[in-house]
Amino acid sequence: MSERDTTGQRRGFLKALGLAGGAAVASATPAAAFNADGSLGDARPAKETADERVAARYRETDHVKAFYRTNRY
Amino acid sequence: MARMKFLCDSDRCIECNACVTACKNENEVPWGINRRRVVTLNDGKPGERSISMACMHCTDAPCQAVCPVNCFYTTADHIVLHDKDLCIGCGYCFYACPFAAPQYPKIGNFGGRGKMDKCTYCAGGPQADNSAAEYAQYGANRIAEGKLPLCAEMCSTKALLAGDGDIIASIYKERVQTRGYGSGAWGWRTAYRETVGS
Repeated sequence: MSERDTTGQRRGFLKALGLAGGAAVASATPAAAFNADGSLGDARPAKETADERVAARYRETDHVKAFYRTNRY
Repeated sequence: MARMKFLCDSDRCIECNACVTACKNENEVPWGINRRRVVTLNDGKPGERSISMACMHCTDAPCQAVCPVNCFYTTADHIVLHDKDLCIGCGYCFYACPFAAPQYPKIGNFGGRGKMDKCTYCAGGPQADNSAAEYAQYGANRIAEGKLPLCAEMCSTKALLAGDGDIIASIYKERVQTRGYGSGAWGWRTAYRETVGS
């Protein structure tokens, strides 16, 4: 095998490694952050009804009670 | 029915900005938008005070009153949320808000600002609770998980209180009685038309 071939193989490996890393980052980034422009990205819309959206969601769970208790210290 | 409120005890706030960082991290808020900010009054002078400010989820919210497309709605817990699918980015809410809470993701030609973004009280938006769509548009929905906004839960000096207005007001009153002084509940008269003690 000539020196030119081995150099080509080595660089090809590094190129493939770089492309794979870049693709992994590109596929992970959009799902990680919310879209400030208001778009949904790849997520499928799942709108609530008018009644559901104004329904009370606050619950006084143990977690919330612990917050109130520790804030009294 | 509980009425959700924020209360910043300015005698405890040390301007560490952990609430700002916690909010940005929890909701993955991008560069250029701060849903919560720490404002320092009389910086470097005697009587300096820092207060952590975000959307106060006002009673009769002015943003809601001026919105030309009615994208705002108030939940039964009195959390003021908005629908980004309806928002046209006109900026009226920004001018109406006494706390400068509404933010816009871009500054474009001819006044194009993009969809408005603001504090959601960690309660998401009109998409299904804790769905990918809700996170993509509004960030986390901790209220649906039985938690409170992370900015308040993270506060190291417990200056920022969130939750049922009556309970956090009683916590603040206890503090004022114990230490013998208090600067009052910042923004409450404007946002809720009441003060702690009334």
